[in-house]
Amino acid sequence: MATESSEGEEEGKLTGGSPVLSVDEDLREMGKKAAWSVSSCKPGNGVSSLRDDNLETYWQSDGAQPHLMNVQFQKKVKLQLVALYIDFKLDESYTPSKVSIRAGDGFHNLKEIRSVELVKPTGWVYVSLSGNDPRDTFVSTFMLQIAVLSNHLNGRDTHVRQIKVYGPRPNLIPHQLFQFTSTEFNTYAFVR
Amino acid sequence: MQRSQKIEFLSLCESEEEVAMEAILADYVRSSVRQFMHANAIFHCERLCAEFPSEVNQQLLASCYLQNNQAYCAYHILKGTQMAQSRYLFALSCFKMDLLREAEAALCPANEPSSEVPNGAAGHFLLGLVYRYTDRKISAIHHFKQALSLDPLLWSAYEELCVLGAAEDAAAVFGETAAICIQNQYLHHASVLQNSQAFEEDHSVTSSKDNSADDVSPRQLKQLLSNNVREASGNCQGMAVSARSAVQPPNGGSTHLSLYTTPSPITTQYLCAAPPPLHRNALPNVSNTNSIAADSSPRSTVNSTIQAPRRKFVDEGKLRKISGRLFSDSGPRRSTRLAAEASANTGSNATSTAGNGPNNPSKYLGNSKFSSAALRSVTLRKVSNWTNENFDDGMKNEVIDGCRPIIVSGALPSGDPKALDQETTMLSGVAPNTSKLLSCAGEILGLLRLFGEGYRLSCIYKCQDALEAYSKLPHKHYNTGWVLSQVGKAYFELVDYLEADRAFGLARRVSPYSLEGMDIYSTVLYHLKEDMKLSYLAQELISTDRLAPQSWCAMGNCYSLQKDHETALKNFRRAVQLDSKFAYAHTLCGHEYVALDEFDNGIKSYQTALRIDSRHYKSLYGLGMVYLRQEKFEFAEHHFRLAFHINPCSSIIMSYLGTALHALKRSNEALEMMERAISADRKNPLPMYQKANILVSLECFEKALEVLEELKEYAPRESSIYALMGIIYKRCNMHDKAMLHFGLALDLKPSATDVATIKVTVLPFIMELGTDMKYVLMHVMEI
Repeated sequence: MATESSEGEEEGKLTGGSPVLSVDEDLREMGKKAAWSVSSCKPGNGVSSLRDDNLETYWQSDGAQPHLMNVQFQKKVKLQLVALYIDFKLDESYTPSKVSIRAGDGFHNLKEIRSVELVKPTGWVYVSLSGNDPRDTFVSTFMLQIAVLSNHLNGRDTHVRQIKVYGPRPNLIPHQLFQFTSTEFNTYAFVR
Repeated sequence: MQRSQKIEFLSLCESEEEVAMEAILADYVRSSVRQFMHANAIFHCERLCAEFPSEVNQQLLASCYLQNNQAYCAYHILKGTQMAQSRYLFALSCFKMDLLREAEAALCPANEPSSEVPNGAAGHFLLGLVYRYTDRKISAIHHFKQALSLDPLLWSAYEELCVLGAAEDAAAVFGETAAICIQNQYLHHASVLQNSQAFEEDHSVTSSKDNSADDVSPRQLKQLLSNNVREASGNCQGMAVSARSAVQPPNGGSTHLSLYTTPSPITTQYLCAAPPPLHRNALPNVSNTNSIAADSSPRSTVNSTIQAPRRKFVDEGKLRKISGRLFSDSGPRRSTRLAAEASANTGSNATSTAGNGPNNPSKYLGNSKFSSAALRSVTLRKVSNWTNENFDDGMKNEVIDGCRPIIVSGALPSGDPKALDQETTMLSGVAPNTSKLLSCAGEILGLLRLFGEGYRLSCIYKCQDALEAYSKLPHKHYNTGWVLSQVGKAYFELVDYLEADRAFGLARRVSPYSLEGMDIYSTVLYHLKEDMKLSYLAQELISTDRLAPQSWCAMGNCYSLQKDHETALKNFRRAVQLDSKFAYAHTLCGHEYVALDEFDNGIKSYQTALRIDSRHYKSLYGLGMVYLRQEKFEFAEHHFRLAFHINPCSSIIMSYLGTALHALKRSNEALEMMERAISADRKNPLPMYQKANILVSLECFEKALEVLEELKEYAPRESSIYALMGIIYKRCNMHDKAMLHFGLALDLKPSATDVATIKVTVLPFIMELGTDMKYVLMHVMEI
């Protein structure tokens, strides 16, 4: 079950966006082990364009709002960050404006954990899933749903060019509470 | 075989031209191969086989294909053949094609359990490899040891023994007995050579190229010697030909003769072989005639039969019957050929090589039998002693004692003093001398002892001792690619990555084309986190050889350093594809799978690596780590223990073994293991930290704190130390100290998970404090 934080309905405005994806070293992309699906799509602009590492291709929805992107995992994973590549300059009225992120065990019990409003984004937009409480640094869940509630200029359909989901790297040394940070330790920590 | 020999023998008489043609063709094929014109050689050899179908010619064809890296062709040609040399070549083709069962069946037929392994030391070596790769370690060791006893210079066999962990002390293997063995082989060889020379001499009277013959002799003999020296190891049956070195073993009498037919037949054999260093000095002792005579009784006949190219070898009275006639022509022809081969200087050489054949068809006749025999004995790469078989029944007179290397000079069993003297004078330059031979062999063995000891010690992971052994090598040998790589590997195992980097760097400078050990170098750079150097190395290796597994391992390490495990895995799998017997590539694949959380594939990769090399402790470590993660602690402990047995000096393995023991609740043993790990390598902080962990879980907080304080001195900027201390103080209810240490830990920027963990731990304390402190601290800790 998604952690229910009191600040679930918190709003935040995000502007701009970086052209290059840069994420902390201690995060790793979790999307490879997930099943991705979308609520609707135009033929030729399906869900695969969301995950093809190609910023030229995009997913275009083809139905009623809200447009949904679903990420389902086989086991509960800890997630910390969602990165979306959206470009107002290229997509104009197709650019998402209000995005809500929900988490839960499945379609039946999703709950919103984050909600952001994007203002003319032009590149990679990072949405952190952490709450204020240090206990809420990660969201532990089976499923994540990114919902596009509205678009810029009141567009009906939406374009999303790429999406990535990040979680923490597990401790490489099993049975140890803390990870090593210094070079002296890391040199000796493993055999390769 | 014999039959064909006889038939050929007869046909010789019948159609001299045919024989001559066969000889010429075979000769030409050999010379083509020598010049690495494989396509040409194959074409001509096919004509030869079509014209004169015989097993010997088929062997020649197969060997041409093997030279051209077309083992499958050789396989089909030699399938079903029975001659020893054929079986050896067939087994070799099977081995190259990964058909290990068939290779084994060829070398060691199931229905003839007592049959001897063809080709002596080389055959045993190949058989050993087959057994090794089919997981029959004991048999493999047995055969490698056999190979070594037959050929003490077979370094590759010793290497394999080291890798299997069953090598004896280098001093014992490359010791006195080896020296004597080499000496004997040379002397034998010399005697046979003498005999052959004498024989040829008899008949070289008719030769029109007497001059050249004379000139040729010393060179011939030298050549012969150089070639033969290599084979000195062989036993009666086979010339020890290291499967990895292109040495041509001389095969008894016919070999000798072939030696003389320089351009193609046997000479090719010898000349194709890389002249071993020994030969310069190792010359048999002229004075040792007696001893040689003693053991070459079967040779006595040979003596008379074999014709020395040198006229000085009297033996006039040793005219042979038909074989004599055969050899008469071979003499000059061979000598001229040899002359051509041996030294480009002699003017006569040039003419003689070209002219001989067509000029003297009759001579050819005589030669042909021998030449063809010689031809048959040519396997450019891996020669065997099949000449024995070839000639056994055909030539009564040639008591070709198979593979005794011909030692020039030395004993003429027939004991012709005049000849001997002449020979001696001729060979004065080559100075035969038993004691000298012994001492030279001893010198070489001395070198090999140092190499062997170093390699053996590094294979059982006694790395300091190995480094010492290598340091005893003379400078000129130390500064070679191989040695420096081995030194680098030894430092790598000692976890002294800086020194390893230095050694490998030197190795690259000394031999920039060599890929040996470069996979380990890339791992060293990976540990040192030198991404620039690593990518440069990878690029260079790929551009040197795109088809070497080491290059792709380096490339994979490069990507892995940048945490791009997918691409790294792709590269490692490419390395595996290029050479599926490269254990380290499999291990690296396993590491990447684990990093990607694909444990099943990781386990499979590790197990594949272990199948190839059961002493590859890194794979055992990998398996242990996987099981530790999956919380299968018994399995983990088992694998770490196996790794520990193989490499008892690795403090990292010991500390993980301790961790596994602790997880199994055998904490006392765990602590013991940690102590051992700490004492094994003082510089390693890991066992100390693990020890502290164990103590904390055993609630021995005092001792744990002691350890951590010590550790703090060593690595003052390691956040996990402070974090653990914080945990201890918290459990001891010393909250201020706990807060202090948690703060320090957070300052040192641990990973996000740890930050979260620390903050979560700290939160309740802060809540207990007074309001002001609370807010200050929350602000400070960014909560």
